[in-house]
Amino acid sequence: MQMHFIFSNEVVLLFDFWSVHSPTGMALSVVVILLLAVLYESIKVGKVKLFHHALESLPARINKQLIEETDQESADSDLPPVCRTRLRWFLCHFGQSLIHVAQVIIGYFMMLAVMSYNTWIFLGVVLGSAVGYYLAYPLLNMV
Amino acid sequence: MDGSHHTGMSYMDHNDTTSPPHHHPTTSVSHSHAEGHGDTMMMMPMTFYFGFKNVELLFSGLVIHTAGEMAGAFMAVFLLAVFYEGLKIARESLLRKSQVSIRYNSMPVPGPNGTTLMETHKTVGQQMLSFPHLLQTVLHIIQVVISYFLMLIFMTYNGYLCIAVALGAGTGYFLFSWKKAIVVDITEHCH
Repeated sequence: MQMHFIFSNEVVLLFDFWSVHSPTGMALSVVVILLLAVLYESIKVGKVKLFHHALESLPARINKQLIEETDQESADSDLPPVCRTRLRWFLCHFGQSLIHVAQVIIGYFMMLAVMSYNTWIFLGVVLGSAVGYYLAYPLLNMV
Repeated sequence: MDGSHHTGMSYMDHNDTTSPPHHHPTTSVSHSHAEGHGDTMMMMPMTFYFGFKNVELLFSGLVIHTAGEMAGAFMAVFLLAVFYEGLKIARESLLRKSQVSIRYNSMPVPGPNGTTLMETHKTVGQQMLSFPHLLQTVLHIIQVVISYFLMLIFMTYNGYLCIAVALGAGTGYFLFSWKKAIVVDITEHCH
């Protein structure tokens, strides 16, 4: 395994079955990696968006109370609404954790793909990241 | 790469401290490119080592042979890491200044009875086709490239270069982020 960047049409990416030998296959792989990078950027933005949703869906008063309660486990009289909010908060948090797992996995896949030291793949990752950032980031505004 | 031959990769000559082991007869089998490249191929080290002989740095033209070259590479990598940290902070403050997009600045606010509350602020954003966003995208490209370069440099397992990356990141963070607020950082990449 070489340790410097090369232009080559032959590369093995991530799995045994993903071995590329032809220019067509390389082009296809670059497109797949590019889409993966776009997906990665979208997930990053989507995570923040979901966080925003979660914050907005919770009424500010209960939200404040919730945080206060986690600090000092005080038992209030209106327990049921707090419980419901807590469940929703938990579900939201769980969803965010799943998204985070997906983000970490895709991030590592991209890193491993770059580690093949293939310049085409590297350009695919960089370009996909740029496109993803360019498209996904302004979408944050349209909540 | 054939998975059944992976055990051969873990073998390292630990007595040789000046150069990464290469041309090991049993390990060359494990690489599918071995037939094509022959003896010119470098063995990839899989453990940390300190050495400055035949260290390839990202490109085939950049091979370190002497201690002086390693010192130069150390400084270059160090500055690259400092620049990376600076770029991250610069993008952050640029974003906040031009208000390209929503930022969530969660800052702890002292509550009424000694507790701390998290306050979340929101800044409103702009269009996709605007100069600040284009600038951000270009800076994002530069940041992605540098972050992957730093990752690959760390991946050489060369002790000096790894220390350069870590020291650079620390120095950059120390220099640039002393006034940075606590933010939900989504500009972070790859670590």
